[in-house]
Amino acid sequence: MSARGVILVITEQREGKLNRVSYETITAAQKIGAETGWGVEAVAMGAEVSVAAGEIAAKKLEKVYQIQSPTLQQYTADGYVAALKPFLTEKLPSLVLFPHTYQVRDFAPKLALALDRPLISDAVGYKYESGKLIFTRQMFQGKFAADVSFTGEPPYFATVQAGSFRADQIENGSTPAPIETVNAVIESSSIRVRPHEMYKEAKQAVDLTQAEIIVSVGRGIKEQKNIEMAAKLAEVLGGELAASRPICDAGWLPIERQIGSSGQTVSPKLYLALGISGAIQHLVGMKGSRSIIAVNKDPEAPIFDIADVAVVGNLLEIVPALIEEVKKAKAEA
Amino acid sequence: MQSFRKPLAGVDHPQMDADVVIVGGGPAGLACALRLSQLIDEHNARNPDSQLSKENISVLEKAREAGQHCLSGALLDPRSMRELLPGFEKEAPLDAEVEKEAVYFLTEKGKWKLPITPPPLRDHGNYVISINRFTKWLAKKVEDAGITIFNGFAGSELLLDGENVVGVRTDDKGVDKNNQPKSNFEPGYDVRSRITILAEGARGSLTKQLIDRFDLQAKRNPQTYGVGVKELWEVPEGRVAKGEVIYTLGWPLTRAEYGGSWIYGIDGRQISLGLVLGLDYKDPRTDPQHALQSFKKHPFTTKLLEGGKMVRYGAKSLPYGGWFAIPPLAGDGWMIIGDSAGFLNSQRLKGIHLAIKSGMLAAEAAYRALLARKFDAAQLNDYPKAVENSWIKKELWPVRNFHQGFEKGLLHGLFHAGLQQLTGGRGLYKKYPSHPDYEQMERIEKLSDEDASRAAIIGPARREGALTFDKITDVYYSGTKHEEDQPSHLIIHDTNICNERCVQEYGNPCQNFCPANVYEMVENSESPGAKQIHLNPSNCVHCKTCDIMDPYQIITWVPPEGGGGPNYDGM
Repeated sequence: MSARGVILVITEQREGKLNRVSYETITAAQKIGAETGWGVEAVAMGAEVSVAAGEIAAKKLEKVYQIQSPTLQQYTADGYVAALKPFLTEKLPSLVLFPHTYQVRDFAPKLALALDRPLISDAVGYKYESGKLIFTRQMFQGKFAADVSFTGEPPYFATVQAGSFRADQIENGSTPAPIETVNAVIESSSIRVRPHEMYKEAKQAVDLTQAEIIVSVGRGIKEQKNIEMAAKLAEVLGGELAASRPICDAGWLPIERQIGSSGQTVSPKLYLALGISGAIQHLVGMKGSRSIIAVNKDPEAPIFDIADVAVVGNLLEIVPALIEEVKKAKAEA
Repeated sequence: MQSFRKPLAGVDHPQMDADVVIVGGGPAGLACALRLSQLIDEHNARNPDSQLSKENISVLEKAREAGQHCLSGALLDPRSMRELLPGFEKEAPLDAEVEKEAVYFLTEKGKWKLPITPPPLRDHGNYVISINRFTKWLAKKVEDAGITIFNGFAGSELLLDGENVVGVRTDDKGVDKNNQPKSNFEPGYDVRSRITILAEGARGSLTKQLIDRFDLQAKRNPQTYGVGVKELWEVPEGRVAKGEVIYTLGWPLTRAEYGGSWIYGIDGRQISLGLVLGLDYKDPRTDPQHALQSFKKHPFTTKLLEGGKMVRYGAKSLPYGGWFAIPPLAGDGWMIIGDSAGFLNSQRLKGIHLAIKSGMLAAEAAYRALLARKFDAAQLNDYPKAVENSWIKKELWPVRNFHQGFEKGLLHGLFHAGLQQLTGGRGLYKKYPSHPDYEQMERIEKLSDEDASRAAIIGPARREGALTFDKITDVYYSGTKHEEDQPSHLIIHDTNICNERCVQEYGNPCQNFCPANVYEMVENSESPGAKQIHLNPSNCVHCKTCDIMDPYQIITWVPPEGGGGPNYDGM
């Protein structure tokens, strides 16, 4: 271990761009460094990270390492641990700080274990009391703050929760920090996972709140296969398909198509309610529709209280006929 | 396919040490916390050199906010509150002092006023309160005293070490429908506590685990229950005076059911209206929510409600079993208080004051245990001894046989009640036995024609204008809400019994007794014509009736993800 303590921040970059919590983590390191007198250094890692490293080097840091390897082109926990373990073993910093991201949650425990060192995750603050570094973690969904300290020998590991420190309080250096390139040697056989394309949260396929026409189905549709018929009607009308809770609960349609108190609230120009009895839980999600046409077998169904057009009958007969009529009308127009 | 909530395997639970953990932030649990805090403050003032800390005393509450799951009429007998916080009347949210009371016997269209109000139903000096607002106020007191309430955290499992209760595990958060952790998964905490105090209300789920584990009910009468269904109404001024209390017996219930209705005037405009039904009824078609709707259709009630609107709905079970059904109250590392223990006077239909008192006595025992640094049964038995010597026993002993006397119906019950009145509560037998409620239910084939008299309380209620509501509408007004993507917290241990046996034998009474439309029999998608059970756990209002009532005892109610449940604002 170096004579003077060193804090090492492992930043996270994607395509040369650092995320905000990486800057926040540097702020945390600078603050801890000011109290402890420890030096502050940072790491950028990837296949080629000169842009990110240059960006970090503008901050008040004693040194920046760019750990590079073609194997780090894509993130893998194995790759990151293989790159960082020998590096940390050689440098032996006092404290290694990470931003608490999904990626860090994935590899930091493995790294700490590989070095047999303690890890305090998701810290929101710190204290330095009589030579002892203490981190604060939240418990019981933030109701309770626990002070946690390390046992054993450094390096110690800690991850910092997003938003706990302020990126705009980061100190810039008067001169750029020196950048040292570290070429990591990683056996490709040590990478046991093969990453696929980055997962992007599927954009909600449908935005019902924007739809002008909604064809909505309820339990009266009886069987899953009849959904297709309603979908056909929505299609010929140029509208969207939606449903009441039992349909989505049964998995016949995805939850984002659910209308009502536990789903979406909509106010289209036309709302066609097929086999929906009209429980208040559903009505609160669609009663603002401009025109409501309801089809139901039960003449006393509450949906008829708010419907502009009430059709008492079997939707399994009515809907196919309606599809034909709409098609005909469109052909004539 | 429905999957049921179960503990996840291979999960590390964060540990937390505590001196005292109280499960449940209702009147009993909060009174317990507040009393304990008072004792510690007094001790610390007297002993500057040996301070006791309150830091490791906490209350777990499954509701998002204190009081959200509390439901009662409610009338408060102020006796215990005066002991806990002398002069509490000046600051507590009390709606009205009871100034006028009457008891009516109803027939389908007529009413007959009892010439005198029977002494147990005399309420002068009691207060009409919203138990929701009252509990919120009490919770604030507890937090101001420096005791943490963990809202949104349910006690989901007891932690045991041999014969000792050593704490509570809280609910896992972020578990999906199929019992798989989601990205926001957070395992429950293991709160390792020297003393665990169960204050979960009627039919507490941890209390049930404890009673089963140590066979605590063995030498006691089985606990019996009622279910209360309530609606809060806003009506034109002058219908029911502020502080006016009306009890009714009779219609829509028949002589075969135990129960009655209440109407309380809150502030001249708001009225609390509800019906309690003993769960020892026989007809499996009985539906308490329907019974409440029928009660509103009686001309007497309709007149009071006309032109008004319902603002909130709720349901909750209550323990009727009385003194002989109270389980042992303390053991190695644990105590049970409030409704979880069964502290309710079934003759006066009041339990809040007893819950508070039991919480205070348990707090006193916990305090002595903390001083003695001993937490075993011998030490904590201070609490049941204190109950024996307190006015709780004096109040409950004379009515110890009251509810059991009604097991064979109203006429038998009145006979026994009269006899007990003359003999200081003894009646014909020293200890009237009782039976679990679900054993009283009769199979559908046994229903005779005379049961047509029960048309007003069986099967689903219908909505009629602004006066009566179907169940699903009432559920909406309970404000209940749960994370939808979680496993069912109503655990049916064998759904084949529902789909094959119960359908024949009892006609799936879950659909009727559940006041929140959780249970439904739907078309079986695989075999046309047949029905299968379907659950809507997100409708649940946490009343526990299903756990109590299902005739095969195959339903277990466990807490859903903390924070879910009804929103009893103002109830």
